Amino acid sequence: MEATQTKSTILSIHNLVIKFKLRGKVLTAIRDISLNLYKGESLAIVGESGSGKSVLVKSIMGLLDKNGFIDHGAIIYNDEDLAHFQTEKDWLKIRGKEVAMVTQDPMTSLNPLKTVGKQIEECVILHQGLRGKAAYEKTLQYLKDVGIYDVEKRYKQYPHEFSGGMRQRIVIAIAIACKPKILICDEPTTALDVTIQAQILQLLKNLQQQYGLTTIYITHDLGVVAKVADRIAVMYAGEIIEVGQSHEVFFNGKHPYTWALLSSLPQLGTKGEELYSIKGTPPNLFKDIKGDAFAPRNPYALNIDYEERPPFFKVSETHYAKTWLLHPKAPKVEPPHNLQAFFEEGRHYTYE
Amino acid sequence: MLWYIGKRLLQSIVTLFIIVTIVFALLRLMPEEGYLGAAAEKMSPEQQEIYLTNLGLRDPLIVQLGNFYASLLQGDLGTSVTYRTDVPVTTIISEKIMYSLFFGLGAVALSLIVGVPLGILMAQMKGRWLDRLGTGYIVFVVAVPAAVYYIFIQMYITEIFNLPMLFDEYNPISWLLPLTSMALAPTASYAMWMRRYMVDELNKDYIKLARAKGVKERTLMFKHVMRNAFIPLAQYLPATILFTIMGSIYIESLYSIPGMGGLLVDAIQRQDNAVVQGLVLIFSSLGIIGLFLGDLAMALVDPRIKLGKGESVR
Repeated sequence: MEATQTKSTILSIHNLVIKFKLRGKVLTAIRDISLNLYKGESLAIVGESGSGKSVLVKSIMGLLDKNGFIDHGAIIYNDEDLAHFQTEKDWLKIRGKEVAMVTQDPMTSLNPLKTVGKQIEECVILHQGLRGKAAYEKTLQYLKDVGIYDVEKRYKQYPHEFSGGMRQRIVIAIAIACKPKILICDEPTTALDVTIQAQILQLLKNLQQQYGLTTIYITHDLGVVAKVADRIAVMYAGEIIEVGQSHEVFFNGKHPYTWALLSSLPQLGTKGEELYSIKGTPPNLFKDIKGDAFAPRNPYALNIDYEERPPFFKVSETHYAKTWLLHPKAPKVEPPHNLQAFFEEGRHYTYE
Repeated sequence: MLWYIGKRLLQSIVTLFIIVTIVFALLRLMPEEGYLGAAAEKMSPEQQEIYLTNLGLRDPLIVQLGNFYASLLQGDLGTSVTYRTDVPVTTIISEKIMYSLFFGLGAVALSLIVGVPLGILMAQMKGRWLDRLGTGYIVFVVAVPAAVYYIFIQMYITEIFNLPMLFDEYNPISWLLPLTSMALAPTASYAMWMRRYMVDELNKDYIKLARAKGVKERTLMFKHVMRNAFIPLAQYLPATILFTIMGSIYIESLYSIPGMGGLLVDAIQRQDNAVVQGLVLIFSSLGIIGLFLGDLAMALVDPRIKLGKGESVR
């Protein structure tokens, strides 16, 4: 176990803009994102459906749908700009080898006609250059690593002979068997029941340590985020609107959208009152968005929010948020009442 | 696996037994003239009675059924009375079935060889020119009645390429047009199904995962997608084979092929009960064999079927 606390950047995204051509119109899914991923950390990208979380990570692996393209910006990995990769040959250097993915739905993520063992072994053969007996032994090892018993028998079984949680373990084994540096977990627990969720998250955490992985979690489940993430990036309408250490975003969030998101946690609701929900709908991504994308739904919106897009304001060395409220000339606005108590409690907890 | 094959085989035999018995019973309900044929008018009622008794038709039904199965096991399907008087049904059918078998199986083979790869290519080039061209072809074949394009092919293609208009056993070139004409429709359906299942499979999560783990697109197609897409197709195969073996009435009459196409219709119209019985027996057994083979093929590719006993191995 190497506990290097020196932050070296493993992947960095600069001013990324991703667009999709759809029925003759152009949709902007990612609007100018810059983000660094540090070696060994686990970063959670949170946001509601359609905020561009999945598109962002897909672009790292070259798995955008055919009508999607990187309009401009750069994705730097190993001194190479992935944004300029065009051919399959280029991407095969990245997929699996450098970046692997744990997909969302374990019930459909495995090929029903291949034995579980073969599906893991395919990665071992592809990315570790092992053959025959060596590849087989290694596959068994991965099966053990993800907590499967009776591995020799399990190797020969088909996906339909496994339960949902077991299948998710297999999907994880497939990702790990690629020996990646970065592991992307796309809502890894959404399709599982709550007890299994905790087990799978623990497993992912252990494997991250064991194999020295850098992980990206995509999720809209703040409970998952709280369990696993070192750092959080909050996305809204294709933009990262707040990024910071886990406790900074959770207990000292600055962007009204982050507040809204936290307020909608059922745990923060008061008994007998209706649960908080964010009013309105996300903006139409086909249109140019003027100013802050969240402004129309934002009870704290300032006039400038409708005019100009806010830049990142620095909150601390590690914590940035895109809201005009942080501008020195902005009126002082306190977070919503129910959050203040939560923030207070959280900070207490963190700094003690 | 053996258990599964055995179980399916037993089911097939039982099904066949039931079908044959039903056909047998139905034919006993038909007017008895069917057994007398053209000679009926010349016979007095007493003579007819003696004739029918000699045929065993006055025996109790159970005895008749027993006799029927006994002769069936010896390969005897009775003799024709009106279609070709006193010729054994087996002879009539065996003379004709070879032609229909040849053209039927030939057309299926041709349409598989062309249709499946066409479907795969269309799936890979979804939305591009080849896909559109193929879709156009499929829509054309499905929308235009077969009789229309059969006639156009016979009229114009023979003229343009100077091909013979009628079937001639000893001239293989004359086999070409009936074969391709018959293959046009099944080619379209194979291409359509294959394309559809390939596209379906390509959008599935396990393909996304395989791609994400760094599997080459080509390997992905051949190792992951195709086998999965072929499973549903395997279901349609036996049905189409059966359909083509029965003979195409159109094609066989257009090109004067002495096949089975019109035989069943003819035999029913002339009330030749023995021939009808024999044909139904052959068609239903072919159908059942086809289904059995289809199920077997599916069990071979799909591990989820093998369990069969209704319990999983743990």
